[in-house]
Amino acid sequence: MTRWLRVLLAFGLLVGLAGTAEAVTRGGTLTYARYADSLLLDPVFNDANVDIWILTNLYDTLLQPTADGKDVQPGLATGYSVSDDGMTFTLKLRQGTKFSDGSPITADDVKWSLDRARNPENHIWGFTLEGIDSVEVGGSDTIILHLKHPDPTLASALATFNSAIMPQKLYEATPGATEEEKAKAFAEHPIGSGPFMFDSWQRGTEMVIKRNPYYWQMGEDGKPLPYLDEVRFVVIPDDATRILKLQAGEVDGAEFIPYTRVAELKNDPNLDMILFPSTRVQYLTVNVRPTLKDGKPNVLADPKVRQALNYAIDKKAVIKVVTHDVGKPMVSFMSSATPMAVNNGPVYPYDLEKAKALLKEAGVAEGTEVSCMGLAGNADETAILSTVQAMWAQVGVKLNVEYLDNATRTARYRAADFQMRVAAWTDDIADPSEITSYFAYFPNIESLHGGWEDKKVDALFEASQKEVDKTKRAEMYKEIQQTYIESAPIMFLYESPYPVALRKQVKGLNKIPLGNNIFSGAYVEK
Amino acid sequence: MSLNYVVIRLAQIVPTFFLIMVVIFVLVRLLPGDPTSAILGIHASNEAVARINAELGLDRSIPVQFGLFFEHFLRGDFGDSINLKVPVMSLVLERLPVTLFLTVFAALLAVVLAVPMALLAAVRRDTLVDNGIRAGFQVGLSMPVFYIGIVLLTFLAAKLRWFPVGGFGHSFGEDIYHLFLPALTLALSLSAVLMRNLRSSIIDVLDAEYVDFARAKGLRNRLVLGRHVLRNALTSTVALFGLNIGTLFGGAVITESVFAIPGIGRLLIDSIYGRDYPVIQGLTLVLAVLVSLVFLATDLVQAWIDPRVSHR
Repeated sequence: MTRWLRVLLAFGLLVGLAGTAEAVTRGGTLTYARYADSLLLDPVFNDANVDIWILTNLYDTLLQPTADGKDVQPGLATGYSVSDDGMTFTLKLRQGTKFSDGSPITADDVKWSLDRARNPENHIWGFTLEGIDSVEVGGSDTIILHLKHPDPTLASALATFNSAIMPQKLYEATPGATEEEKAKAFAEHPIGSGPFMFDSWQRGTEMVIKRNPYYWQMGEDGKPLPYLDEVRFVVIPDDATRILKLQAGEVDGAEFIPYTRVAELKNDPNLDMILFPSTRVQYLTVNVRPTLKDGKPNVLADPKVRQALNYAIDKKAVIKVVTHDVGKPMVSFMSSATPMAVNNGPVYPYDLEKAKALLKEAGVAEGTEVSCMGLAGNADETAILSTVQAMWAQVGVKLNVEYLDNATRTARYRAADFQMRVAAWTDDIADPSEITSYFAYFPNIESLHGGWEDKKVDALFEASQKEVDKTKRAEMYKEIQQTYIESAPIMFLYESPYPVALRKQVKGLNKIPLGNNIFSGAYVEK
Repeated sequence: MSLNYVVIRLAQIVPTFFLIMVVIFVLVRLLPGDPTSAILGIHASNEAVARINAELGLDRSIPVQFGLFFEHFLRGDFGDSINLKVPVMSLVLERLPVTLFLTVFAALLAVVLAVPMALLAAVRRDTLVDNGIRAGFQVGLSMPVFYIGIVLLTFLAAKLRWFPVGGFGHSFGEDIYHLFLPALTLALSLSAVLMRNLRSSIIDVLDAEYVDFARAKGLRNRLVLGRHVLRNALTSTVALFGLNIGTLFGGAVITESVFAIPGIGRLLIDSIYGRDYPVIQGLTLVLAVLVSLVFLATDLVQAWIDPRVSHR
């Protein structure tokens, strides 16, 4: 029953922390400038961060990620327990909860929602709930998950957007011949049980969500959350305009502030320039196959060459040039904010001599050429590539850069028709399994389509997916990461935070390392 | 000019339209990349990509896809946006008025700026006034649209707070207020083109004998300029104006991005990046029809101004 205790402790800590804060303001509207609009407000059929990062404001989940994004806390379930053999996962449902239309949330809604989310035919997120064999309603307040194998990721998965609880009857009454058509129709005017409820949406321009009067969670003042009456999302894709709008006081907050403007906005007395910790890592994906798609031999197939080029990158300089010093060097392939990330300091610290020696050892001739795909018109990628180009020139390696548009680049990436590409990753789930399955576990997508394969890593990953003992699982992850770092199938660059600028009057807004914007605790001081 | 002429010109739009439809349909599919990359992100598995491609019918041959598209088109159905998951027609109808408003507003502003200034510059030819006007418009012509936009936004909106920073209003009055800066941004380069052209036409006309005659008749200067000079000088400028409306739509694409205006320009950019085939097709066709109609209107206006221009 230690899990119950942990969940309770986390919750107690949260309430405790909240108690020390200053008095909150209730009511009013918060206008938030986004870089792009949402696409589909369905927990299961959505595809993109523009949806994922606001969905949980509309749809509540059984468990919720903690504020630091590393653990879970109670949501629509007050807690959970796992049987001794790890094969049964029992959740206690919070009583008296309602959807935003006032209808009660029943155990049947929960079962139906989880079954819908884990159905592999329903889009791409089913993998997070793959461990569930069947969902059983054990009475009005109990949900029992029977598992195919012990599943250490399940608690995190139940706190992830796709396992949100939806109203079965309302959804089923929605017109649509296929599941996807129904999802589209329902998402036009979604009803969930999150702190906010959908109000209106003019695509590409503005979306308004209003306070859900039935939300269960209590605020610092002992009354139900959220504090705000409504949140207005306005879509302003141009960075400069988004910032101008904030400075003119026309919006209360703006996301994705370019790194070049962070220092300037920090000095603006009317603004709070916040760098929310994130799980975002920026790196170069490397194709490690012996021959490239065009039939030419690939010098990067040799781990020594990859190690050398990693040593030849001055991460601090890259961070300075690209992020204006808001980033930090990577410590593993996963971000330091990801649970179970190893952290023995930055990997491959800048060392030109070591780089040269390794290249010599590998027999790499002066003037050897390598290539990397970059995103055309993207300032960050251009800065990364020109900096790395200059650094590798010092060890006699010439970097050729190809700038492509995103769709073209993705097509070539999928076809493994590349030598390197600039890439970034953000976790969707508070667990190391997602990133590891993409970066290191060959059977998923051939390790970022780079072709890196280590049978031992694959076996360790498979075992770790069934290992419920946290310490043992962490040990497995330690070994996976050490092997990966040693072999260097990527060029490690940096971790970077989420830059969000808010008017000084805005308090309590949180963006967890997974990227989710949490508006339930936000308020605007008068 | 006859009604016949208008009907024939309208009928000519049909084959042009079909040709554009085929070319765009094939071209977008020849571009590397596919909509699934925008839908699934870069980390999707090959199975997921294949499944989505099959759902979208993108695994069939291009002629088959075109046949299906054309069949739907004849029923007035442009298909659904792949990324936004709503019917293309509803998107276009929602966004087109905004872009039309912006371009018409910009065109009007361009004329209001260009015509009096061109007259003044031509009449005061080679004086300080003329040179000043030409230099001023030259600046408008040589600066990129997005830069003008940012400069106007920074000073007139963010600093002085005379105008809102981008966005779109909820009523006609609000729209005028919101769209003034973007329309001005768009209008500046067009007005420079029009001003330069009109100025030199006016100078040519001013030297004509019938102008001397009108003056000799004792007509007042204002009447000479308005009735005899401007009307004759306008013919080539009207043609130029019509040709530049297409460019104005192009400029609207950038202006809409800078000023966060939800028009079809921004939709077009997003749909190209996202390889949202149905939206690219729908928008291109709508723009093609619009530009064809503007060209037709230009010809008609030209004939109205100058009866020597005849249409048979």
